[in-house]
Amino acid sequence: MNKQLRRAAYRTGMFLVSIALVAVLWELYKVVGPEKGGKLFGVAILPRSNDTAMPHLWEMLSRYAEPEMRGPHSRQIWLVVLQGAWFSFRLALVGFVIGSSIGVALAALMTRFKTMERGLLPYLVVSQTVPLIALAPLVVSWGGKLHIFGFTWPRWLSASVLGAFLAFFPIAVGTLRGLKSAPAASLELMDSYAASWKQTLFKLRFPAAIPYMVPAFKLGASGSVIGVVVAEISTGLKGGIGRLIIEYARQATGDPAKVFTAVFGAAGLGLAMAGLVTLADVLLMRNRPKETTT
Amino acid sequence: MSAVHVAGVSKIFNQGTPKQVDALVDVNLTVEPGEFVSLIGPSGCGKSTLLRLIANLLEPTTGAVTVNGKTAAQSRLDQDYGMAFQQAGLFDWRSVAKNIELPLELKGWDKEKRAARAQEMLELVKLPEFADLMPWQLSGGMQQRIAIARALAAHPPLLLMDEPFGALDEMTREYMQGELLRICAETKTTVVFVTHSIPEAVYLSNRVVVMSPRPGRITEVVNVSLGANRSEDTRAADNFFSGITAVREALRGTHADHANAGAVRGVEDR
Ligand SMILES: Nc1ncnc2c1ncn2[C@@H]1O[C@H](COP(=O)(O)OP(=O)(O)O)[C@@H](O)[C@H]1O
Ligand SMILES: [Mg+2]
Repeated sequence: MNKQLRRAAYRTGMFLVSIALVAVLWELYKVVGPEKGGKLFGVAILPRSNDTAMPHLWEMLSRYAEPEMRGPHSRQIWLVVLQGAWFSFRLALVGFVIGSSIGVALAALMTRFKTMERGLLPYLVVSQTVPLIALAPLVVSWGGKLHIFGFTWPRWLSASVLGAFLAFFPIAVGTLRGLKSAPAASLELMDSYAASWKQTLFKLRFPAAIPYMVPAFKLGASGSVIGVVVAEISTGLKGGIGRLIIEYARQATGDPAKVFTAVFGAAGLGLAMAGLVTLADVLLMRNRPKETTT
Repeated sequence: MSAVHVAGVSKIFNQGTPKQVDALVDVNLTVEPGEFVSLIGPSGCGKSTLLRLIANLLEPTTGAVTVNGKTAAQSRLDQDYGMAFQQAGLFDWRSVAKNIELPLELKGWDKEKRAARAQEMLELVKLPEFADLMPWQLSGGMQQRIAIARALAAHPPLLLMDEPFGALDEMTREYMQGELLRICAETKTTVVFVTHSIPEAVYLSNRVVVMSPRPGRITEVVNVSLGANRSEDTRAADNFFSGITAVREALRGTHADHANAGAVRGVEDR
């Protein structure tokens, strides 16, 4: 237990150090980098280091405490960003739940039927090459036409569906690998007990799959966040962090620090989702041999 | 009624393809209730295949297998046998007691009955205070004892073992042999036991079935009964050594028609 705590502390420490390192590099570049951008071997790759393109970190941070807009009733930015992140978080969570259910179900089906795996997997791979930006308006318009049993498709659900679209794939692939990782001897043991396929699935294959499923679910979690944020941006859905990013980006010339407050909000969102999976990991793996928990 | 009856059984893998393997050809074997029978022979002679046929994990190409007077398939459905392999194969995510309860769970036993039986089995293998530990906290020998407890949890009349002590060190191995004999005597379990080791086969068995490869077949059955009161002293007794010699000669005989007579590959002579 003590060892685990130490490892967790070490990881958190490394994470903070790496953030500090990026911050230092950012400010260092502002000191030595060219104000108006620069060319390297004739190619314009050096970004501008002026305060419009790269505001100081302390300006970004202090921007959180200032009101969003000029005017008497404006809320402070930290509250706006937090509310936006919470809105997007809920959409991403819905997308994550849909995506992981579909991913796990597909993985179980592909384990059960070899032909399913051969027939389905190529399509799943191809599905991930469809650009999300192109898909987003399509899903919105399909959803808008959907009216089943008095159920009308809310606009936000389109964003969740796109989150699910990015989440299901890594989860399906990782879970499939995990379900197939059960040792032949253990499968034979279950056979010798005349266990049904369902018993073998729940008592052997899924528990054996957990070490494979956790990293897959982490990828799926960040996928659902990206899907939701991109969907918010490309469909103009109001209320979430994606909308804040485009709104603030438009104001970047006059208020360059503002957009970064929303970008950090989106990053925090991804971290929160991944944290949720890590928590589940710790709970599920607490009794496993320690080598496999790394 | 015999515990195991194997009649005219052949097993051919990948029949009719270039990869065809005649794993077993015309095998006949009868094991009586309460008997301890070992299968010995060089690698690839079909020992595991024969055990899997008895367990109905494989179907014979020809011939028939009966267990407890029923077809092998029916016996598997009725959990008439327990099985143990070289790797203990305990489930990492289950406590020791929950591992032992696995076959009972699959049979639909209720919780109290399962827990009581698990404790009974833990006492049988002399690890009563280990119920709540996780498998990876146990030594290899202890894990193998738990695997035996799991195999016997449903009180099957027959125990099938495939080199169960093959991964253990020599000291642990001899201890486990003694324990296995005690457990089987207490529970009156019939055992079919696959091994590489001549002394192990002789020490444990009533009969040693000697097999030879290409094609896999039974060449000789050696009667070695050392009596009910075997102990560590038995390992120094004359009839133990004469048993070893008899089995070794039977194994050599299977190789007499091969070029390298005398060297019995894959069989441990210790
Ligand atoms: N599933 C299988 N498919 C094809 N060949 C097999 C299979 N199982 C075993 N064999 C072959 O059958 C022969 C006997 O194998 P096995 O019973 O495992 O031998 P042993 O346990 O005596 O070492 C070997 O030549 C092996 O390669
Ligand atoms: Mg074998």
